[in-house]
Amino acid sequence: MRWATAKKLFLLAVLIAVTLTAMRCTVPERMGPATPGIKFQDVIAPVQNGLTWLGKQGRYIISLPVSMVGAAARCQELEQEIERLESERIKFNEYLMENRRLAALLEHKKIMADNYNLLTASVIGRDPGNWFATITLNHGSGDGVKENMSVLTPDGLVGRVVAVTPSTCEVLLITDPRSGVGSLVQDTRAPGIVEGVAGAAGIVRMIHIPNNARVEAGQAVVTSGMGSLFPKGIPVGRINSVQNEPTGLFLSAEISPLADLNSLEEVMIVTFVHPEVATQQAGG
Amino acid sequence: MRFILYPMLLGIVILLQSTVLGNIAIVGVKPDLVMLIVVLSSFVAGARAGAFLGFIGGIVEDLFLGNYIGLNALVKMTAGYLAGAAGKRLYRENTVIATFVAFFTSLAGFMVNYLLLFYLDIAIAPVQALFKVALPAAIYTALLTPFIFQRIFRSMQMRSRDL
Repeated sequence: MRWATAKKLFLLAVLIAVTLTAMRCTVPERMGPATPGIKFQDVIAPVQNGLTWLGKQGRYIISLPVSMVGAAARCQELEQEIERLESERIKFNEYLMENRRLAALLEHKKIMADNYNLLTASVIGRDPGNWFATITLNHGSGDGVKENMSVLTPDGLVGRVVAVTPSTCEVLLITDPRSGVGSLVQDTRAPGIVEGVAGAAGIVRMIHIPNNARVEAGQAVVTSGMGSLFPKGIPVGRINSVQNEPTGLFLSAEISPLADLNSLEEVMIVTFVHPEVATQQAGG
Repeated sequence: MRFILYPMLLGIVILLQSTVLGNIAIVGVKPDLVMLIVVLSSFVAGARAGAFLGFIGGIVEDLFLGNYIGLNALVKMTAGYLAGAAGKRLYRENTVIATFVAFFTSLAGFMVNYLLLFYLDIAIAPVQALFKVALPAAIYTALLTPFIFQRIFRSMQMRSRDL
């Protein structure tokens, strides 16, 4: 072996040894967080950032003319896609809200299942005028709906069925001036009749409350069930104000219905009252 | 042909009123679109024609509802007659005047409705009837005048020219 070759081999061995040592010394677990590599990365990070940005810009500039081909068509497609997604978003919101309403109805139905059989129905029409208050539901005699059945929401009483066709029924709301509901003030058990004022008025009046009854604003009113078409104990509304009737013999009260009768979408029809409940009601 | 078209248009309007219009009710009060079409058409057409248009509009509404047939016919006939009579005395091309006429004649119509309800044994307290139903409904109905009056005016003028 010549001297020059031996020198090269020696230098190569030294280089390999140094490299191997450096490799052993720079194992991350041994170096801890402050390795020279990481420090170096910190230094070059802004430069890397800048170069990456420049690269992106360069690619954008180079590819721009190519990407412009068919851009108008793509833009139109995207606009249509946005419109479609927007429409779907609205539809999903609608489903979400419907789902919440139906879940509330289902919950109420479960609670009431011991006492009543309930049929869920959707509102498909309303009285077009402002004097009367009726709604049309999407269930009729074909689904077992009969006249005088009570209609409720989880919030409270809505009204009663007054006309039935095979596939629809008409419900007289408690705000209709033709409506009358035998009721009680929940706290004091003072009886009275809740009658509608006018369809658009949105309030009802409880009349013929005994003069000596303790009746105050804020008290809840429920159906009495006695001699009435409505089952007992269904919430009707809350008293706003109390007045003396012109005869002086009775009191009357203005009541806000608990059910939001202006924006009804789904309601429940009481199709059957269980016999024990009916007997209890007959006994008062 | 227009004797069929007018009731058909009113039929569509009543259908809209009983379905989607509930969504634009303000504190439970809806505008009466049939009343609006009747009074604005009558304002242009005159008293006798107005009474006729009102009666037809009202009877279509009554037949749609299926009860108290004649109630809306009389109400709209009165409103149509009054609007037609006003049209003879006032400048008919002005939307602002038409809006006021729509308000007063609708209000008169709603008050006739209120009186007819007594005839049907449906008692409503006068204060509630005026301030919770008649007045807000007349205001809401009249406020829609600017949206349709010019269209109705032009259509009625074209018809009278054709005749």
